[in-house]
Amino acid sequence: MSIMEYNGGSVIAMVGKDCVAIASDLRLGVQSLSISSNFQKIFPVTDRIYVGLPGLASDVTTLHEQFRYRVNMYTIKEEREIEPQTFAQMVSSTLYERRFGPYFIEPVIAGMQRTPSGSYEPFIAATDLIGCLNFAKDFVVAGTASSELFGAAEGLWEPDLEAEDLFETISQTLLNAVDRDTFSGWGAVVHVMTKDKVITRTLKGRMD
Amino acid sequence: MTSFYSGPGFDFSNTVRNNFLQDRGLPLPKATSTGTTIVGCIYKDGVVLGADTRATEGPIVADKNCEKIHYITESIRCCGAGTAADTEFTTALISSNMEMHALSTGRKPRVVTAMTMLKQMLFRYQGHVGAALVLGGVDVTGPHLFTIAPHGSTDKLPYVTMGSGSLAAMAVFEAGWKPDMTREEALELVVAAISAGIFNDLGSGSNVDACVITANKTEMLRNFVRPNERVTKERSYGFRRGTTAWKKEQIRSLIVSEEVVKHGEAMDVS
Amino acid sequence: MECSFAITGKGYVIVAADTTAAHSIIKVKLDEDKIKTLSPHLLMAYSGEPGDTVQFAEYIERNIRLYQIRNTYPLRPSSAASWIRRALADSLRSRKPYSVNLLLGGYDTSTYTPHLYWIDYLGTLTEVPFGAHGYGSYFALSLLDRYHDPEASLEEGLATLKRCIDEVSKRLLVAPGRYKVKVVDKDGVREVEI
Repeated sequence: MSIMEYNGGSVIAMVGKDCVAIASDLRLGVQSLSISSNFQKIFPVTDRIYVGLPGLASDVTTLHEQFRYRVNMYTIKEEREIEPQTFAQMVSSTLYERRFGPYFIEPVIAGMQRTPSGSYEPFIAATDLIGCLNFAKDFVVAGTASSELFGAAEGLWEPDLEAEDLFETISQTLLNAVDRDTFSGWGAVVHVMTKDKVITRTLKGRMD
Repeated sequence: MTSFYSGPGFDFSNTVRNNFLQDRGLPLPKATSTGTTIVGCIYKDGVVLGADTRATEGPIVADKNCEKIHYITESIRCCGAGTAADTEFTTALISSNMEMHALSTGRKPRVVTAMTMLKQMLFRYQGHVGAALVLGGVDVTGPHLFTIAPHGSTDKLPYVTMGSGSLAAMAVFEAGWKPDMTREEALELVVAAISAGIFNDLGSGSNVDACVITANKTEMLRNFVRPNERVTKERSYGFRRGTTAWKKEQIRSLIVSEEVVKHGEAMDVS
Repeated sequence: MECSFAITGKGYVIVAADTTAAHSIIKVKLDEDKIKTLSPHLLMAYSGEPGDTVQFAEYIERNIRLYQIRNTYPLRPSSAASWIRRALADSLRSRKPYSVNLLLGGYDTSTYTPHLYWIDYLGTLTEVPFGAHGYGSYFALSLLDRYHDPEASLEEGLATLKRCIDEVSKRLLVAPGRYKVKVVDKDGVREVEI
């Protein structure tokens, strides 16, 4: 078994019409033994950026702390909040710096990017464990259930979903995918972000 | 331990831990690689580069429409195959160094300069930076086309292919290449070579990106041919609102409202 | 083999650890205390590689004490957990990492809430309502899934703990004989007999 599967867990992000959603399961295990059903893998970076960190649980915490530190330093130096695109590059460089001794995390980033006209547009990105960025226009997935998530999302995602419809689509994609993965599941959390609010919902999922 | 102003170059501080984990029987995972078809071809007035747009992670298609033709300078571009992050960061670094070089010399940079920088870097890392590149461009000495292998060896040829689809693409070149082609002939041949990779190599797929470089113009033809368009779904697979049961909801409003309360007497400004 | 359990309840955390010190196949001590009192409202049960455990636990104990001396007040459980996790994660990147698993139970005197953290040698940290380390965890966690009640009184909590210990003694081939049980609540740390 690979280190990436040691603790289990999966994350997915999707784009909708003027909104984005990011969701993850809540399991923390040690191989097949489940330890916690409330292990958060998605963290707020700014009001309008969330980052999901599936992979080795130790590195989830280490990288969360590292990103928090770097984002704080950026905010102080630049005297402004970091934008999702910039944050994605920060994530990418942080991981590539450790090209020959990586963190076992495949980050997923979701946020609302400020446009020159002052409005917001949805942004998602994902990287592999050494920081190769993938800017997708529809959805990105990562974690132990990534192959299941790819399949489910490819079938269920459609363009221009309203926030409430995007919530249903991402939730059903995640719940059905993690039910086919032994290392993911044990509850789920979904964040749906629009230009003026973030809705966080804890889902009712299978506990087996 | 963590410093915001970390020194240049790679950070090896995790390697001890990772070797320790590997010794405990947990194999290290694989990074995204571009099982790729990339090609280049010299013609009468310049160079044409081509690439497919599939990124793979083992047997999974990680990205269906990624960009593999990277910017080096205005008239030099580089196609990347191999470990995706390595091609991305190596070309970005050399692009930056080329810009600095152009600024300090005050001249338009040459393709051999980029080639030398790339090969010296890749040789230094002894193949551990897994970038296989096709470098093409036009400079004051004319059009040039190179391949650079991950260990740092280079070839200078009139037509080149690289990546997992290189055999399929090279077959097309060998059959169809001739000296002093026109722009249209060269572009058509490159498209045919990439298409051969897309349809015959499992590691390559989706669309054809092309880039035509001449002495005074560079055309980046992103998604030049799209032979694998996804058909629109015949019906919607949306869920009725309320399908998903949830236990807890928390709404965070991002609207900042401010109320100004007048306090005390206004200042006498008469 | 080593076993440790911990459960939270209404205003308290119970931490239990076996008391055997083993050297390969020999029990060399039967009353080893593997639960350190880090501060007036913080307990830490440790298990893992012999040698590493005590060394690491004492290192943590003294640094937590140093913080308390410097700042006049002790670290809250969540902050202590973060600091201890970082110590383990950094150690894992050194030439000879500590191989220590921890259960950190504490009572937060500013929010009046009990907290329990599950930490392993990789630097994995998570807050849990109940946790366990060692082979006993395979039995205890399923029992606690069924019987744990976050609103249970101390007597009920101790009864649940007793269930876990009895089950492990009954079914685990290499079950330890005796356990030390400590409780932390608003009044601080104390040992209880079961």
